[in-house]
Amino acid sequence: MTDGGGLRLTGLVKAYGPVRAVEGVDLDVPAGELVTVVGPSGSGKSTMLRLIAGLERPDAGMVAVGGQDLRDVPPHRRSVAMVFQDYALYPHLTVRENIMFGLRVRKVPKGEARRQAGAAAERLGIADLLDRYPDQASGGQRQRVALARALVRSPAVYLLDEPLVSLDAQLRLSTRADLLALHRQIGSTTLHVTHDQAEAMTMGDRVVVMDAGRIRQAGPPQEVYDAPADTFVAGFLGSPPMNLVPGGGVLGGAAGGTVGVRPEDLALDPAGPIEATVDAVETLGSEAVLLTRCPDGLRLAVRTPPRLSLRPGDTVRLRFDPDRLHRFDAAGRRV
Amino acid sequence: MTRAKGERSLSGWAFLAPYAVAVVLLIAVPALLNVGYAFTDHTGLTRDPQFVGLDNVRRLADDAFLADSLEASLFHVALSVPLRLLAAVGLGLLLAAPRPGGRWFRTAVYLPTVVPDVALAVLFLWVLNPLYGPLNQLLGLFGHPGYTWLSDPTTARVGVVLMLLFPIGEGFVVVLAARRLLDGRLYEAAALEGCGPFGQLRRITLPLLAPVLVLLAVRDTILTLQVNFVPAYVLTDGRPANATLYLPVYIFDQAFEFSGFAYAALITILLMLITAAIIAVQLLAVRRWRVLR
Ligand SMILES: Nc1ncnc2c1ncn2[C@@H]1O[C@H](COP(=O)(O)OP(=O)(O)OP(=O)(O)O)[C@@H](O)[C@H]1O
Ligand SMILES: [Mg+2]
Repeated sequence: MTDGGGLRLTGLVKAYGPVRAVEGVDLDVPAGELVTVVGPSGSGKSTMLRLIAGLERPDAGMVAVGGQDLRDVPPHRRSVAMVFQDYALYPHLTVRENIMFGLRVRKVPKGEARRQAGAAAERLGIADLLDRYPDQASGGQRQRVALARALVRSPAVYLLDEPLVSLDAQLRLSTRADLLALHRQIGSTTLHVTHDQAEAMTMGDRVVVMDAGRIRQAGPPQEVYDAPADTFVAGFLGSPPMNLVPGGGVLGGAAGGTVGVRPEDLALDPAGPIEATVDAVETLGSEAVLLTRCPDGLRLAVRTPPRLSLRPGDTVRLRFDPDRLHRFDAAGRRV
Repeated sequence: MTRAKGERSLSGWAFLAPYAVAVVLLIAVPALLNVGYAFTDHTGLTRDPQFVGLDNVRRLADDAFLADSLEASLFHVALSVPLRLLAAVGLGLLLAAPRPGGRWFRTAVYLPTVVPDVALAVLFLWVLNPLYGPLNQLLGLFGHPGYTWLSDPTTARVGVVLMLLFPIGEGFVVVLAARRLLDGRLYEAAALEGCGPFGQLRRITLPLLAPVLVLLAVRDTILTLQVNFVPAYVLTDGRPANATLYLPVYIFDQAFEFSGFAYAALITILLMLITAAIIAVQLLAVRRWRVLR
């Protein structure tokens, strides 16, 4: 269905008064790629999507889809569909009318619009809801209606702004799989904003980490995880996040810089070089996370097997894998 | 447990009491008395009114003044309710969005509602003055000779409607508030689909506001059938040729000028029935829409 529209953002800037929401974003998404965008609250993720959709005008920079500069193209002429976090379904219209809305606005004949709405609903497994109103559908179903509404536009680019955030964990997992399957089927360029670590790591061909209106790093999830470009990305991706030790400390000196180690790269070892006291044990079923504290006050999280019967107050010794240390310079950049 | 519950509901009644007493004494009792008086020869002056059966009702049938009065009232409702709604909804929607100076415009729209209606009516005596009134001068700018507003039956009625187009602050505020409650995302989603401002008005705003609009129409019908008393009294005193002898005016005349207390009581009942009938028609008409789903 797609007409091979890749997405390119160049030097995108948007400020709301004094708030610089997006500060020079460059991003190149080849046609058909699914990119997840993560970043703390207020880092400009939604604003970036809104700029791409044309709901906001950039102060500077360019949005191009399929090589076409969209500067003077109004939102509905961009081949871009957006799914909002809160779905934005029309409460006074049935599910079918919601899906048909854009088609009817674009003067697609009623019969044809109904057929397309039916097909989209079929595809997303909500065909039996077509005559209900949004408030008679569950959160997950509404989410699918919003997706169906985007689907009938058959756009070149899908913008999904935290579409799974209001679903419970179970539903989120299954919808995530459905979304991926759908993306594989229609293969259109997709930007997927999420807060969820697991989504960020598993869904995208690439993950983009944003902070304060800038892209801190973009790359395949495993690559970003293994080689974070700076201390921000290191501390943001991963749960629990990477242990960052300013100055190096117990991980070996790094004058002026910072040394980091992932919790899974620390291990309990009676002969290990680091001594620490257990502050707390977080049991996750298949594994456990020890929150420990070194004598100098430094806190280290350690990923361990479950059922170690350690208690807060116990003293442990830790070993780390020198090859898996991450070194950052004084400005926080990876060295 | 039950005791505490009993005390709770007792204190509830205690809180309700002042209001309930006032409603009973000031509204329910007079309304019942009114129904009773309608079938007597009460003049408002005599001490003991006599029951006269349906005499007053028979009198309704061939009361030429009443026919004029009914016609005036219906004309007024038919013109004033739609126009007042249109003004309140139009201004409410226009001024709901935040824009520079918006609060001054909103205040300006609400202001006439705060002005006592007698004062507004006196102002309109001037506005509608055929010789030096601003309205005729305005028409003059377009080469129109102007009207002798209050001495011609039709323009007198229009004049009253014009005046009542200004105190629309309450409906305006309701529309403003209701519009602001609508989710801005819906409009963004619509814009993404290529739905322009008028499409958004037609496909989103009006359908979502429909319950509020129906409520306003019903309320304005009730109000409009009654509030034309003051302008009619100040501007025209029911003239010319009974053109503005609206039902409230006629009721007042009967009750306090002709001492037809009982007959006036009967016409108030008639006014109530007419109001109920118009509202019933409105509600039936909007049942087709899904607004009251
Ligand atoms: N309409 C607006 N007016 C003023 N400031 C805004 C507006 N929209 C966003 N901002 C500001 O821009 C910054 C980026 O907001 P944005 O919504 O893009 O963040 P986000 O990354 O999507 O956050 P979240 O994860 O919480 O959704 C924030 O500081 C926000 O307060
Ligand atoms: Mg957001």
